[in-house]
Amino acid sequence: MTRENFQKLSAALLLIVSFGLPLVLRSPTYLHILILLYLYAYLTTSWNLVGGFAGVLPLGHAAFFGIGAYTSTVLFLQYGISPWIGMVLGGIMASIVGVIIGLPTFKMRGAYFALATIAFGEGMRVMVENIDYLGPFNLNGPRGLQIPPLNVGLANLMFVNKEPYYYIILIMLIAVLMLTYTISCSKLGYYLNAGGEEPEAAKALGVNVARCKLIAMAMSSFLTALAGVFYAQLTLFIHPKSVISLDLSFEIAFIALIGGRGSIAGPVLGALLLRPVSDFSRIYFGHILPGLHLIIFGTVLILVMIFQPRGLQEPLTKAYHRLLDRLTENPTEKE
Amino acid sequence: MWFIVEDLINGILMGAIYGLTALGLTVIFGVLKVINFAHGSLLMVGMFVAYWAVTLSGLHPYLALILVIPIMFFFGYYLQDIVIKPIFKAEKDVREPITVIIVTTGLWYILDNLTLLIFGPQYRNIQDNPLRGKMLEIGGMFISVPKLWGFSAAILTALAIYWFLQRTRMGRAIRATSLDRDAASLMGIKQYKVYNIAFGIGTAAAGIAGVTLVPFYNVFPSVGVLFDIKGFIIVVLGGLGSISGAILGGMIIGVIESVGPQFMTATWTEGIVYALFLLVLFVKPSGLFGVRYDW
Repeated sequence: MTRENFQKLSAALLLIVSFGLPLVLRSPTYLHILILLYLYAYLTTSWNLVGGFAGVLPLGHAAFFGIGAYTSTVLFLQYGISPWIGMVLGGIMASIVGVIIGLPTFKMRGAYFALATIAFGEGMRVMVENIDYLGPFNLNGPRGLQIPPLNVGLANLMFVNKEPYYYIILIMLIAVLMLTYTISCSKLGYYLNAGGEEPEAAKALGVNVARCKLIAMAMSSFLTALAGVFYAQLTLFIHPKSVISLDLSFEIAFIALIGGRGSIAGPVLGALLLRPVSDFSRIYFGHILPGLHLIIFGTVLILVMIFQPRGLQEPLTKAYHRLLDRLTENPTEKE
Repeated sequence: MWFIVEDLINGILMGAIYGLTALGLTVIFGVLKVINFAHGSLLMVGMFVAYWAVTLSGLHPYLALILVIPIMFFFGYYLQDIVIKPIFKAEKDVREPITVIIVTTGLWYILDNLTLLIFGPQYRNIQDNPLRGKMLEIGGMFISVPKLWGFSAAILTALAIYWFLQRTRMGRAIRATSLDRDAASLMGIKQYKVYNIAFGIGTAAAGIAGVTLVPFYNVFPSVGVLFDIKGFIIVVLGGLGSISGAILGGMIIGVIESVGPQFMTATWTEGIVYALFLLVLFVKPSGLFGVRYDW
């Protein structure tokens, strides 16, 4: 079997397993854990467009998550607009905000950029916590917005069981991964890579680094907002501390960094490895050892940065390629 | 009308204390060229050390400085030596050591949660606090005594660090390394030793700040987070690497926080602080007193 066929077969197997899982795994708790896992994999992959491909360290992405969540929820509660439309609108809003943030900040040095994104994220949270009414829209400040579970169904992105949520987020994740792959092979991807590593050399070659970074930011914020809408419809309650939190921004960045930013598999890998740690340490150790999962996160982050700055995906990808070489025939080696 | 003056004065006093908390951050940045995201946690550790020093020995909080300063200095020194130095060595040729920022963020999480694990989330206060709630009355205005102590501590520490950097040999070495690490290295200055000492000084400053805060602030594991972000704002406002900038930046924030609530809700003042921060970042990232170094 050739390498290509092997990879296609494993991809197909993975798809079958992931789509078939809910039929085997009946417990809503485990499904919920998986849903959150996919959500974080989705979030980190979207973050990766800016944090990995563009080479900067944005630590305020929760703001876009919140924009998506609030836009769709407010429109749904007040005007009955379906969350699917809310997704598109929320995404556009987040894109616009992302570009506005990106315009002045991309010119800054790495550390300053990180601080600026933190300031934007926190500033947005403070704003939403203080505003009850933004024009005709009711944001309800720190009390948050609750979505009553009436009118369930696909049209309103509200379901009683977990299974439909599982499939939706899985499809979103697959879509985002395919998008990332396409970008990485495209001109935009190469421009971003060049701009991230050596901006001056890239500019000398005629690459409009600033514009590419802004495009990446617009895409990343759009996608993150979609996740915000999904989350709002999943938990049916949003408030500033949960959707526009610094912790969320940091967790997304951490997972992407540990997994390996700049690669496609990295963020997903990071989520796959770290989210179960987070969930299980919270479930089993939450009351005796609070905050254990954060200690583990922090330690893993430091160790990974010291020993594998490109993320855990590097040794794993190498091992995967060696495995492929052993299992499949390699046409060039036959001679 | 007098309220504004009272607020102004209290704002300046508290602001100086904020400046003190940011002092360590600015020193570390000026020398190592990294923003230490774990600074808030170091401040929290300083507060805990001060708390335990006072509770176990019954000393006056400011006398506890004798214990706090060396403990914090060596903590910072070895933290830099063991955890951060390997990253520096790995990233020697990289222009912007982003990885160090990531590592300090990891440190922040570890320190905060380890403290939570060991000491629990409850708020602590020193008992028999000789400074608690004491107010000085000057012509109808009430000035907080612990903040007055804090103000003096801040000014003294700033002067002490300034003197150290200007007049001692090690201070000169630190200044040389912050200007051009390679040239300093060529002159025979041990780069990593300078980093360790600078980090130690920064942490010790955080320890002093902790001592000033303990008399009137609750001690709990996540107390650092509040000061962390404020610290960055102050340091950028005043100029990364500038000591006077840190104190002055702190005072500006302190005054905004004190006088602001007269005119708007307290949370909006928080928003103003963030807006001011962003303004400075866009308009003059080097801050009020910072120098335009291209590192």
